Amino acid sequence: MSAHATSMRDALYEAPGPRTRRLTIIGTTISMILVAIGLALVVRQFYVTGQLDAKYWSFFAEWSTWRYLLKGFVGTLEVAAMAAAISLVLGILLMLGRISSNRLLAIVTRIIIDFFRGVPSLLLIYFFYLVIPQYGIRLPSFWMITLPVALAASGVLAEVFRAGVNAVPKGQTEAALSIGLTPGKTMRKIVLPQALRIVVPSLISQLVVVVKDTTVAYVVSYPDLMQNARVLISNHDSVVSMYLVAAVIYILINFAINQLSIYMARRSGTPIISRTTENPT
Amino acid sequence: MADQIPVIELQHVDKHYGKLHVLRDINLSVHKGEVLVLIGPSGSGKSTLCRTINRLETIDSGQILIEGKELPQEGRELAQMRAEIGMVFQSFNLFAHKTILQNVTLGPIEVLKTPKNIAEAEAMELLDRVGVAEQAHKVPAQLSGGQQQRVAIARSLAMHPKAMLFDEPTSALDPEMINEVLEVMVELAREGMTMVVVTHEMNFARRVSNRVVFMADGQIVEEGTPDEFFDHPKSDRAKDFLDSIRGH
Repeated sequence: MSAHATSMRDALYEAPGPRTRRLTIIGTTISMILVAIGLALVVRQFYVTGQLDAKYWSFFAEWSTWRYLLKGFVGTLEVAAMAAAISLVLGILLMLGRISSNRLLAIVTRIIIDFFRGVPSLLLIYFFYLVIPQYGIRLPSFWMITLPVALAASGVLAEVFRAGVNAVPKGQTEAALSIGLTPGKTMRKIVLPQALRIVVPSLISQLVVVVKDTTVAYVVSYPDLMQNARVLISNHDSVVSMYLVAAVIYILINFAINQLSIYMARRSGTPIISRTTENPT
Repeated sequence: MADQIPVIELQHVDKHYGKLHVLRDINLSVHKGEVLVLIGPSGSGKSTLCRTINRLETIDSGQILIEGKELPQEGRELAQMRAEIGMVFQSFNLFAHKTILQNVTLGPIEVLKTPKNIAEAEAMELLDRVGVAEQAHKVPAQLSGGQQQRVAIARSLAMHPKAMLFDEPTSALDPEMINEVLEVMVELAREGMTMVVVTHEMNFARRVSNRVVFMADGQIVEEGTPDEFFDHPKSDRAKDFLDSIRGH
Protein backbone atom coordinates (compact mmCIF):
# COMPACT_ATOMS: atom_id res chain seq x y z
CA MET A 1 0.00 0.00 0.00
CA SER A 2 2.59 2.54 0.98
CA ALA A 3 5.70 3.72 -0.78
CA HIS A 4 7.78 1.20 1.17
CA ALA A 5 8.86 -1.94 -0.61
CA THR A 6 6.28 -3.98 1.29
CA SER A 7 4.69 -6.45 -1.08
CA MET A 8 1.64 -8.62 -0.47
CA ARG A 9 4.08 -11.51 -0.10
CA ASP A 10 5.94 -9.78 2.71
CA ALA A 11 2.68 -9.07 4.48
CA LEU A 12 1.40 -12.63 4.24
CA TYR A 13 4.48 -14.73 4.87
CA GLU A 14 7.38 -14.38 7.24
CA ALA A 15 10.82 -13.83 5.75
CA PRO A 16 12.34 -17.20 4.73
CA GLY A 17 15.23 -18.62 6.76
CA PRO A 18 18.41 -20.16 5.29
CA ARG A 19 16.95 -23.68 4.90
CA THR A 20 13.81 -22.40 3.17
CA ARG A 21 15.95 -20.22 0.89
CA ARG A 22 18.04 -23.26 -0.13
CA LEU A 23 14.89 -25.28 -0.80
CA THR A 24 13.49 -22.42 -2.85
CA ILE A 25 16.62 -22.26 -5.01
CA ILE A 26 16.57 -26.05 -5.59
CA GLY A 27 12.86 -25.99 -6.41
CA THR A 28 13.26 -23.06 -8.78
CA THR A 29 16.16 -24.75 -10.62
CA ILE A 30 14.31 -28.03 -11.04
CA SER A 31 11.13 -26.39 -12.31
CA MET A 32 13.11 -24.21 -14.76
CA ILE A 33 14.79 -27.32 -16.17
CA LEU A 34 11.39 -29.02 -16.53
CA VAL A 35 9.94 -25.97 -18.31
CA ALA A 36 12.93 -25.89 -20.68
CA ILE A 37 12.52 -29.60 -21.46
CA GLY A 38 8.80 -29.08 -22.10
CA LEU A 39 9.47 -26.17 -24.46
CA ALA A 40 12.09 -28.19 -26.31
CA LEU A 41 9.59 -31.04 -26.74
CA VAL A 42 6.99 -28.65 -28.15
CA VAL A 43 9.44 -27.15 -30.65
CA ARG A 44 10.66 -30.65 -31.60
CA GLN A 45 7.08 -31.79 -32.18
CA PHE A 46 6.43 -28.69 -34.32
CA TYR A 47 9.56 -29.52 -36.29
CA VAL A 48 8.62 -33.17 -36.72
CA THR A 49 5.07 -32.37 -37.83
CA GLY A 50 6.33 -29.68 -40.18
CA GLN A 51 4.71 -26.74 -38.35
CA LEU A 52 7.93 -24.80 -38.64
CA ASP A 53 7.90 -25.11 -42.44
CA ALA A 54 8.23 -21.85 -44.30
CA LYS A 55 4.77 -22.16 -45.88
CA TYR A 56 3.13 -21.72 -42.47
CA TRP A 57 5.15 -18.63 -41.61
CA SER A 58 6.03 -16.90 -44.87
CA PHE A 59 2.76 -14.97 -45.10
CA PHE A 60 3.75 -13.06 -41.97
CA ALA A 61 6.34 -11.37 -44.15
CA GLU A 62 3.57 -9.76 -46.18
CA TRP A 63 2.25 -6.34 -45.22
CA SER A 64 -1.30 -7.31 -46.12
CA THR A 65 -1.33 -9.97 -43.38
CA TRP A 66 -0.36 -7.43 -40.74
CA ARG A 67 -2.74 -4.83 -42.09
CA TYR A 68 -5.55 -7.33 -41.76
CA LEU A 69 -4.48 -8.30 -38.25
CA LEU A 70 -4.16 -4.64 -37.30
CA LYS A 71 -7.73 -4.06 -38.47
CA GLY A 72 -8.82 -6.89 -36.22
CA PHE A 73 -6.73 -5.48 -33.38
CA VAL A 74 -8.47 -2.12 -33.74
CA GLY A 75 -11.83 -3.92 -33.86
CA THR A 76 -11.00 -5.70 -30.61
CA LEU A 77 -9.98 -2.44 -28.95
CA GLU A 78 -13.18 -0.72 -30.12
CA VAL A 79 -15.44 -3.43 -28.75
CA ALA A 80 -13.45 -3.69 -25.52
CA ALA A 81 -13.39 0.07 -24.95
CA MET A 82 -17.10 0.53 -25.64
CA ALA A 83 -18.04 -2.51 -23.54
CA ALA A 84 -15.83 -1.24 -20.70
CA ALA A 85 -17.41 2.24 -20.84
CA ILE A 86 -20.95 0.87 -20.82
CA SER A 87 -20.23 -1.61 -18.04
CA LEU A 88 -18.66 1.12 -15.87
CA VAL A 89 -21.76 3.30 -16.03
CA LEU A 90 -24.14 0.36 -15.73
CA GLY A 91 -22.07 -1.13 -12.91
CA ILE A 92 -22.33 2.08 -10.85
CA LEU A 93 -26.07 2.34 -11.48
CA LEU A 94 -26.66 -1.30 -10.53
CA MET A 95 -24.55 -0.88 -7.40
CA LEU A 96 -26.52 2.21 -6.37
CA GLY A 97 -29.73 0.24 -6.81
CA ARG A 98 -28.32 -2.69 -4.87
CA ILE A 99 -27.43 -0.57 -1.81
CA SER A 100 -30.57 1.55 -2.03
CA SER A 101 -32.79 1.71 1.05
CA ASN A 102 -35.71 1.03 -1.30
CA ARG A 103 -36.20 -2.70 -0.69
CA LEU A 104 -37.89 -3.46 -4.02
CA LEU A 105 -35.21 -1.67 -6.05
CA ALA A 106 -32.50 -3.41 -4.02
CA ILE A 107 -33.98 -6.85 -4.66
CA VAL A 108 -34.58 -6.26 -8.38
CA THR A 109 -31.05 -4.94 -8.99
CA ARG A 110 -29.61 -7.77 -6.94
CA ILE A 111 -31.36 -10.30 -9.20
CA ILE A 112 -30.09 -8.46 -12.30
CA ILE A 113 -26.53 -8.39 -10.94
CA ASP A 114 -26.54 -12.06 -10.01
CA PHE A 115 -28.03 -12.94 -13.39
CA PHE A 116 -25.37 -11.12 -15.41
CA ARG A 117 -22.64 -12.43 -13.12
CA GLY A 118 -23.86 -15.97 -13.31
CA VAL A 119 -24.71 -16.38 -16.99
CA PRO A 120 -21.73 -17.12 -19.29
CA SER A 121 -21.16 -14.23 -21.67
CA LEU A 122 -21.31 -16.59 -24.65
CA LEU A 123 -24.92 -17.35 -23.73
CA LEU A 124 -25.70 -13.64 -23.64
CA ILE A 125 -24.07 -13.27 -27.05
CA TYR A 126 -26.25 -16.05 -28.48
CA PHE A 127 -29.25 -14.29 -26.99
CA PHE A 128 -28.39 -11.07 -28.84
CA TYR A 129 -27.43 -12.98 -31.99
CA LEU A 130 -30.25 -15.49 -32.21
CA VAL A 131 -33.16 -14.40 -30.02
CA ILE A 132 -33.35 -10.64 -30.38
CA PRO A 133 -33.44 -10.66 -34.22
CA GLN A 134 -36.54 -12.85 -33.99
CA TYR A 135 -38.34 -9.84 -32.59
CA GLY A 136 -37.40 -7.83 -35.64
CA ILE A 137 -34.56 -5.93 -33.99
CA ARG A 138 -31.54 -6.01 -36.29
CA LEU A 139 -28.47 -4.85 -34.40
CA PRO A 140 -25.15 -4.27 -36.18
CA SER A 141 -22.65 -7.01 -35.31
CA PHE A 142 -20.62 -4.48 -33.30
CA TRP A 143 -23.47 -4.14 -30.81
CA MET A 144 -24.28 -7.84 -30.85
CA ILE A 145 -20.86 -8.47 -29.32
CA THR A 146 -20.43 -5.24 -27.30
CA LEU A 147 -23.74 -5.27 -25.42
CA PRO A 148 -23.57 -8.82 -24.03
CA VAL A 149 -19.93 -8.41 -23.03
CA ALA A 150 -20.81 -5.10 -21.34
CA LEU A 151 -23.81 -6.61 -19.53
CA ALA A 152 -21.76 -9.54 -18.25
CA ALA A 153 -19.05 -7.19 -17.01
CA SER A 154 -21.51 -4.75 -15.42
CA GLY A 155 -22.72 -7.41 -12.99
CA VAL A 156 -19.17 -8.03 -11.81
CA LEU A 157 -18.34 -4.32 -11.70
CA ALA A 158 -21.45 -3.59 -9.61
CA GLU A 159 -20.06 -5.94 -6.97
CA VAL A 160 -16.58 -4.41 -7.26
CA PHE A 161 -18.07 -0.94 -6.71
CA ARG A 162 -20.11 -2.21 -3.79
CA ALA A 163 -16.98 -3.59 -2.16
CA GLY A 164 -15.41 -0.15 -2.66
CA VAL A 165 -18.34 1.67 -1.09
CA ASN A 166 -18.28 -0.71 1.87
CA ALA A 167 -14.56 -0.07 2.28
CA VAL A 168 -15.10 3.67 2.88
CA PRO A 169 -15.19 4.14 6.68
CA LYS A 170 -18.64 4.77 8.12
CA GLY A 171 -17.39 7.90 9.85
CA GLN A 172 -17.08 9.62 6.46
CA THR A 173 -20.81 9.21 5.90
CA GLU A 174 -21.66 10.28 9.44
CA ALA A 175 -19.53 13.40 9.16
CA ALA A 176 -21.12 14.33 5.84
CA LEU A 177 -24.65 13.81 7.19
CA SER A 178 -23.89 15.80 10.30
CA ILE A 179 -22.92 18.91 8.34
CA GLY A 180 -26.30 18.69 6.65
CA LEU A 181 -25.61 16.89 3.37
CA THR A 182 -28.53 14.76 2.18
CA PRO A 183 -27.87 11.01 1.87
CA GLY A 184 -27.73 11.34 -1.94
CA LYS A 185 -25.21 14.14 -1.84
CA THR A 186 -23.20 12.26 0.77
CA MET A 187 -22.93 9.34 -1.64
CA ARG A 188 -21.97 11.55 -4.61
CA LYS A 189 -19.56 13.95 -2.92
CA ILE A 190 -17.98 11.88 -0.17
CA VAL A 191 -18.43 8.12 -0.51
CA LEU A 192 -18.28 7.44 -4.27
CA PRO A 193 -15.11 9.45 -4.98
CA GLN A 194 -13.29 7.54 -2.24
CA ALA A 195 -14.78 4.19 -3.25
CA LEU A 196 -13.68 4.71 -6.88
CA ARG A 197 -10.16 5.44 -5.75
CA ILE A 198 -10.13 2.19 -3.79
CA VAL A 199 -11.38 -0.01 -6.64
CA VAL A 200 -9.42 1.46 -9.58
CA PRO A 201 -6.90 -1.42 -9.62
CA SER A 202 -9.64 -4.10 -9.58
CA LEU A 203 -11.55 -2.21 -12.27
CA ILE A 204 -8.58 -2.31 -14.59
CA SER A 205 -7.99 -5.99 -13.94
CA GLN A 206 -11.62 -6.53 -14.89
CA LEU A 207 -10.77 -4.93 -18.26
CA VAL A 208 -8.64 -7.99 -19.01
CA VAL A 209 -11.76 -10.14 -18.69
CA VAL A 210 -13.63 -7.79 -21.04
CA VAL A 211 -10.86 -8.07 -23.65
CA LYS A 212 -10.90 -11.84 -23.40
CA ASP A 213 -14.71 -11.92 -23.63
CA THR A 214 -14.55 -10.07 -26.96
CA THR A 215 -12.73 -13.01 -28.56
CA VAL A 216 -16.05 -14.77 -29.17
CA ALA A 217 -16.94 -11.95 -31.60
CA TYR A 218 -16.58 -14.47 -34.43
CA VAL A 219 -19.96 -15.90 -33.36
CA VAL A 220 -21.57 -12.73 -34.70
CA SER A 221 -18.95 -12.34 -37.50
CA TYR A 222 -17.64 -9.09 -36.13
CA PRO A 223 -14.13 -8.51 -37.51
CA ASP A 224 -12.07 -8.45 -34.31
CA LEU A 225 -8.55 -9.80 -33.92
CA MET A 226 -9.77 -13.35 -33.36
CA GLN A 227 -12.19 -13.34 -36.30
CA ASN A 228 -9.55 -11.92 -38.65
CA ALA A 229 -7.04 -14.47 -37.41
CA ARG A 230 -9.54 -17.21 -38.29
CA VAL A 231 -9.94 -15.79 -41.78
CA LEU A 232 -6.16 -15.80 -42.24
CA ILE A 233 -6.03 -19.38 -40.96
CA SER A 234 -8.47 -20.59 -43.61
CA ASN A 235 -6.67 -18.60 -46.30
CA HIS A 236 -3.22 -19.94 -45.48
CA ASP A 237 -4.11 -23.24 -43.80
CA SER A 238 -1.95 -22.26 -40.83
CA VAL A 239 -3.71 -23.05 -37.56
CA VAL A 240 -0.73 -23.28 -35.23
CA SER A 241 1.34 -20.34 -36.43
CA MET A 242 -1.60 -17.95 -36.66
CA TYR A 243 -3.05 -18.86 -33.26
CA LEU A 244 0.42 -18.51 -31.72
CA VAL A 245 0.75 -14.98 -33.10
CA ALA A 246 -2.79 -14.07 -32.03
CA ALA A 247 -2.13 -15.40 -28.54
CA VAL A 248 1.01 -13.30 -28.27
CA ILE A 249 -0.93 -10.18 -29.30
CA TYR A 250 -3.65 -10.87 -26.69
CA ILE A 251 -1.01 -11.46 -24.05
CA LEU A 252 0.60 -8.13 -24.94
CA ILE A 253 -2.72 -6.28 -24.70
CA ASN A 254 -3.49 -7.77 -21.31
CA PHE A 255 0.07 -7.29 -20.12
CA ALA A 256 -0.27 -3.59 -20.93
CA ILE A 257 -3.56 -3.44 -19.02
CA ASN A 258 -2.02 -5.19 -16.04
CA GLN A 259 0.92 -2.79 -16.03
CA LEU A 260 -1.58 0.07 -16.01
CA SER A 261 -3.39 -1.45 -13.04
CA ILE A 262 -0.15 -1.89 -11.11
CA TYR A 263 0.76 1.71 -11.86
CA MET A 264 -2.67 2.94 -10.73
CA ALA A 265 -2.53 0.82 -7.58
CA ARG A 266 0.81 2.32 -6.69
CA ARG A 267 -0.44 5.81 -7.37
CA SER A 268 -3.62 5.53 -5.33
CA GLY A 269 -1.72 3.87 -2.49
CA THR A 270 0.60 6.79 -1.93
CA PRO A 271 -0.67 9.75 0.05
CA ILE A 272 -2.16 12.44 -2.12
CA ILE A 273 -0.04 15.54 -1.87
CA SER A 274 -1.57 18.76 -3.03
CA ARG A 275 0.30 21.02 -5.41
CA THR A 276 0.63 24.02 -3.13
CA THR A 277 2.23 22.46 -0.08
CA GLU A 278 5.79 22.04 1.03
CA ASN A 279 6.68 18.88 2.91
CA PRO A 280 4.27 16.45 4.49
CA THR A 281 4.61 16.56 8.26
CA MET B 1 -33.12 30.65 31.96
CA ALA B 2 -35.82 28.26 33.06
CA ASP B 3 -38.61 29.95 31.14
CA GLN B 4 -36.63 29.99 27.89
CA ILE B 5 -37.12 27.23 25.33
CA PRO B 6 -34.16 24.85 25.65
CA VAL B 7 -31.91 24.50 22.58
CA ILE B 8 -31.94 20.73 23.03
CA GLU B 9 -34.54 18.82 24.97
CA LEU B 10 -34.96 15.07 25.41
CA GLN B 11 -38.20 13.71 26.85
CA HIS B 12 -38.58 10.10 27.96
CA VAL B 13 -36.11 8.86 25.35
CA ASP B 14 -35.75 5.08 25.16
CA LYS B 15 -33.57 2.98 22.91
CA HIS B 16 -32.76 -0.72 22.61
CA TYR B 17 -30.07 -2.53 20.69
CA GLY B 18 -31.85 -5.85 20.39
CA LYS B 19 -32.30 -6.94 24.01
CA LEU B 20 -29.88 -4.36 25.34
CA HIS B 21 -31.67 -1.35 26.83
CA VAL B 22 -29.12 1.37 25.99
CA LEU B 23 -31.13 4.46 26.86
CA ARG B 24 -33.71 4.33 29.66
CA ASP B 25 -36.21 7.13 30.00
CA ILE B 26 -33.73 9.93 29.40
CA ASN B 27 -34.94 13.43 30.26
CA LEU B 28 -32.52 16.22 29.64
CA SER B 29 -32.54 19.82 28.51
CA VAL B 30 -29.71 22.04 27.41
CA HIS B 31 -30.22 25.79 27.40
CA LYS B 32 -28.58 28.42 25.26
CA GLY B 33 -24.96 29.00 26.21
CA GLU B 34 -24.87 26.01 28.49
CA VAL B 35 -21.97 23.54 28.46
CA LEU B 36 -23.14 20.11 29.48
CA VAL B 37 -20.67 17.32 30.16
CA LEU B 38 -21.83 13.71 29.85
CA ILE B 39 -19.70 11.38 31.89
CA GLY B 40 -19.91 7.72 32.78
CA PRO B 41 -18.33 4.30 32.36
CA SER B 42 -18.02 2.86 28.87
CA GLY B 43 -21.21 1.22 27.73
CA SER B 44 -23.26 3.60 29.85
CA GLY B 45 -24.97 5.04 26.76
CA LYS B 46 -23.43 8.51 26.83
CA SER B 47 -22.12 8.39 23.25
CA THR B 48 -25.39 6.92 22.02
CA LEU B 49 -27.29 9.69 23.77
CA CYS B 50 -25.06 12.31 22.15
CA ARG B 51 -25.58 10.76 18.71
CA THR B 52 -29.36 10.62 19.01
CA ILE B 53 -29.46 14.42 19.19
CA ASN B 54 -28.68 14.72 15.46
CA ARG B 55 -30.27 11.39 14.66
CA LEU B 56 -27.10 9.48 13.82
CA GLU B 57 -28.84 7.04 16.17
CA THR B 58 -32.58 6.59 16.05
CA ILE B 59 -34.70 6.28 19.19
CA ASP B 60 -37.49 3.83 19.97
CA SER B 61 -39.74 6.15 21.92
CA GLY B 62 -39.80 9.57 23.52
CA GLN B 63 -39.13 12.90 21.91
CA ILE B 64 -36.14 15.02 20.97
CA LEU B 65 -36.85 18.72 20.53
CA ILE B 66 -34.52 21.25 18.97
CA GLU B 67 -35.56 24.76 20.00
CA GLY B 68 -38.98 23.36 20.83
CA LYS B 69 -39.47 21.66 17.45
CA GLU B 70 -39.43 17.91 17.09
CA LEU B 71 -36.35 16.45 15.39
CA PRO B 72 -37.37 15.53 11.82
CA GLN B 73 -37.17 11.85 10.88
CA GLU B 74 -35.77 12.10 7.35
CA GLY B 75 -35.35 14.07 4.16
CA ARG B 76 -34.41 17.70 3.68
CA GLU B 77 -35.85 18.72 7.06
CA LEU B 78 -33.52 16.32 8.84
CA ALA B 79 -30.52 17.47 6.77
CA GLN B 80 -31.46 21.06 7.55
CA MET B 81 -31.64 20.34 11.27
CA ARG B 82 -28.33 18.49 11.22
CA ALA B 83 -26.72 21.46 9.51
CA GLU B 84 -27.69 23.57 12.53
CA ILE B 85 -26.06 21.24 15.06
CA GLY B 86 -22.31 20.75 14.90
CA MET B 87 -20.81 17.35 15.58
CA VAL B 88 -17.24 16.47 16.46
CA PHE B 89 -16.31 12.78 16.45
CA GLN B 90 -13.80 10.76 18.40
CA SER B 91 -12.04 9.72 15.19
CA PHE B 92 -12.21 13.20 13.54
CA ASN B 93 -13.77 11.83 10.32
CA LEU B 94 -12.29 14.50 8.09
CA PHE B 95 -13.08 13.84 4.43
CA ALA B 96 -9.99 11.90 3.40
CA HIS B 97 -10.04 12.87 -0.29
CA LYS B 98 -10.42 16.59 0.27
CA THR B 99 -7.96 19.24 1.41
CA ILE B 100 -8.30 20.84 4.84
CA LEU B 101 -9.77 23.96 3.25
CA GLN B 102 -12.26 21.91 1.20
CA ASN B 103 -13.25 20.01 4.35
CA VAL B 104 -14.28 23.30 5.95
CA THR B 105 -15.91 24.88 2.88
CA LEU B 106 -17.89 21.82 1.72
CA GLY B 107 -20.80 22.37 4.11
CA PRO B 108 -21.18 26.11 3.53
CA ILE B 109 -20.95 25.72 -0.28
CA GLU B 110 -23.16 22.64 -0.64
CA VAL B 111 -25.68 23.22 2.13
CA LEU B 112 -25.77 26.93 2.89
CA LYS B 113 -25.08 27.85 -0.77
CA THR B 114 -22.42 30.34 0.29
CA PRO B 115 -20.40 31.62 -2.71
CA LYS B 116 -17.05 29.83 -2.91
CA ASN B 117 -14.83 32.86 -2.33
CA ILE B 118 -16.78 33.93 0.76
CA ALA B 119 -16.82 30.37 2.11
CA GLU B 120 -13.06 30.14 1.60
CA ALA B 121 -12.34 33.45 3.28
CA GLU B 122 -14.45 32.44 6.24
CA ALA B 123 -12.87 28.97 6.37
CA MET B 124 -9.39 30.51 6.45
CA GLU B 125 -10.48 32.69 9.36
CA LEU B 126 -11.77 29.65 11.24
CA LEU B 127 -8.66 27.61 10.48
CA ASP B 128 -6.59 30.52 11.73
CA ARG B 129 -8.67 30.64 14.88
CA VAL B 130 -8.02 26.96 15.64
CA GLY B 131 -4.36 27.38 14.69
CA VAL B 132 -4.07 25.28 11.52
CA ALA B 133 -4.33 27.91 8.79
CA GLU B 134 -0.92 27.04 7.37
CA GLN B 135 -2.11 23.44 6.75
CA ALA B 136 -5.08 24.57 4.62
CA HIS B 137 -3.88 22.96 1.38
CA LYS B 138 -2.79 19.63 2.82
CA VAL B 139 -4.95 16.53 3.04
CA PRO B 140 -6.07 15.15 6.43
CA ALA B 141 -3.60 12.23 6.43
CA GLN B 142 -0.74 14.74 6.53
CA LEU B 143 -1.90 16.30 9.82
CA SER B 144 -1.45 15.14 13.40
CA GLY B 145 -4.47 13.91 15.32
CA GLY B 146 -4.70 17.12 17.33
CA GLN B 147 -4.58 19.21 14.16
CA GLN B 148 -7.21 17.04 12.49
CA GLN B 149 -9.56 17.39 15.43
CA ARG B 150 -9.14 21.18 15.41
CA VAL B 151 -9.99 21.16 11.69
CA ALA B 152 -13.07 19.05 12.50
CA ILE B 153 -14.15 21.72 14.98
CA ALA B 154 -13.60 24.43 12.35
CA ARG B 155 -15.64 22.37 9.87
CA SER B 156 -18.55 22.33 12.32
CA LEU B 157 -18.21 26.02 13.15
CA ALA B 158 -18.36 26.94 9.46
CA MET B 159 -22.03 25.93 9.52
CA HIS B 160 -22.78 28.51 12.27
CA PRO B 161 -24.36 25.86 14.48
CA LYS B 162 -26.86 26.60 17.26
CA ALA B 163 -25.23 23.93 19.37
CA MET B 164 -22.31 21.57 19.14
CA LEU B 165 -22.01 17.91 20.10
CA PHE B 166 -18.62 16.50 21.04
CA ASP B 167 -18.43 12.69 21.14
CA GLU B 168 -15.25 11.90 23.09
CA PRO B 169 -13.25 14.45 21.11
CA THR B 170 -9.93 13.75 22.82
CA SER B 171 -10.13 9.98 23.39
CA ALA B 172 -8.27 9.07 20.19
CA LEU B 173 -5.50 11.61 20.71
CA ASP B 174 -1.96 11.16 21.93
CA PRO B 175 -1.65 12.74 25.40
CA GLU B 176 0.43 15.69 24.21
CA MET B 177 -2.26 16.69 21.72
CA ILE B 178 -5.22 16.64 24.07
CA ASN B 179 -4.65 20.14 25.43
CA GLU B 180 -4.50 21.86 22.04
CA VAL B 181 -7.98 20.53 21.30
CA LEU B 182 -9.35 21.28 24.77
CA GLU B 183 -8.07 24.86 24.50
CA VAL B 184 -10.17 25.38 21.37
CA MET B 185 -13.18 23.94 23.19
CA VAL B 186 -12.64 26.12 26.24
CA GLU B 187 -12.48 29.13 23.96
CA LEU B 188 -15.77 28.13 22.32
CA ALA B 189 -17.44 27.71 25.69
CA ARG B 190 -16.23 31.16 26.76
CA GLU B 191 -17.81 32.65 23.64
CA GLY B 192 -21.15 31.24 24.68
CA MET B 193 -21.50 28.19 22.41
CA THR B 194 -24.11 25.70 23.56
CA MET B 195 -22.23 22.43 23.94
CA VAL B 196 -22.87 18.82 24.83
CA VAL B 197 -19.57 17.10 25.54
CA VAL B 198 -19.00 13.41 26.14
CA THR B 199 -15.61 13.25 27.81
CA HIS B 200 -13.47 11.82 30.57
CA GLU B 201 -11.45 15.05 30.89
CA MET B 202 -12.31 16.07 34.42
CA ASN B 203 -10.26 19.24 34.33
CA PHE B 204 -12.16 20.39 31.29
CA ALA B 205 -15.46 19.53 32.96
CA ARG B 206 -14.52 21.50 36.07
CA ARG B 207 -13.20 24.51 34.21
CA VAL B 208 -15.94 25.11 31.69
CA SER B 209 -19.06 23.04 32.20
CA ASN B 210 -22.22 24.32 33.85
CA ARG B 211 -23.58 20.90 34.52
CA VAL B 212 -22.26 17.39 34.71
CA VAL B 213 -24.58 14.51 33.88
CA PHE B 214 -23.47 11.11 35.10
CA MET B 215 -24.81 8.09 33.23
CA ALA B 216 -24.64 4.38 33.97
CA ASP B 217 -26.46 1.45 32.36
CA GLY B 218 -28.41 3.72 30.02
CA GLN B 219 -29.79 5.88 32.79
CA ILE B 220 -29.03 9.32 34.11
CA VAL B 221 -27.89 8.50 37.63
CA GLU B 222 -27.20 11.98 38.86
CA GLU B 223 -26.50 15.48 37.68
CA GLY B 224 -25.20 18.64 39.22
CA THR B 225 -22.64 21.41 38.97
CA PRO B 226 -19.10 20.16 38.39
CA ASP B 227 -18.08 21.06 41.94
CA GLU B 228 -21.06 19.23 43.45
CA PHE B 229 -20.52 16.20 41.28
CA PHE B 230 -16.78 15.83 41.55
CA ASP B 231 -16.43 16.78 45.22
CA HIS B 232 -19.66 15.40 46.66
CA PRO B 233 -21.07 12.69 44.43
CA LYS B 234 -24.34 11.41 45.82
CA SER B 235 -24.68 7.95 44.30
CA ASP B 236 -22.43 4.96 44.91
CA ARG B 237 -22.14 4.40 41.16
CA ALA B 238 -20.71 7.89 40.71
CA LYS B 239 -18.37 7.51 43.69
CA ASP B 240 -17.04 4.20 42.30
CA PHE B 241 -16.62 5.69 38.85
CA LEU B 242 -14.77 8.77 40.12
CA ASP B 243 -12.50 6.58 42.24
CA SER B 244 -11.69 4.42 39.25
CA ILE B 245 -10.78 7.27 36.90
CA ARG B 246 -8.78 9.07 39.54
CA GLY B 247 -6.79 5.88 39.95
CA HIS B 248 -5.60 6.39 43.51
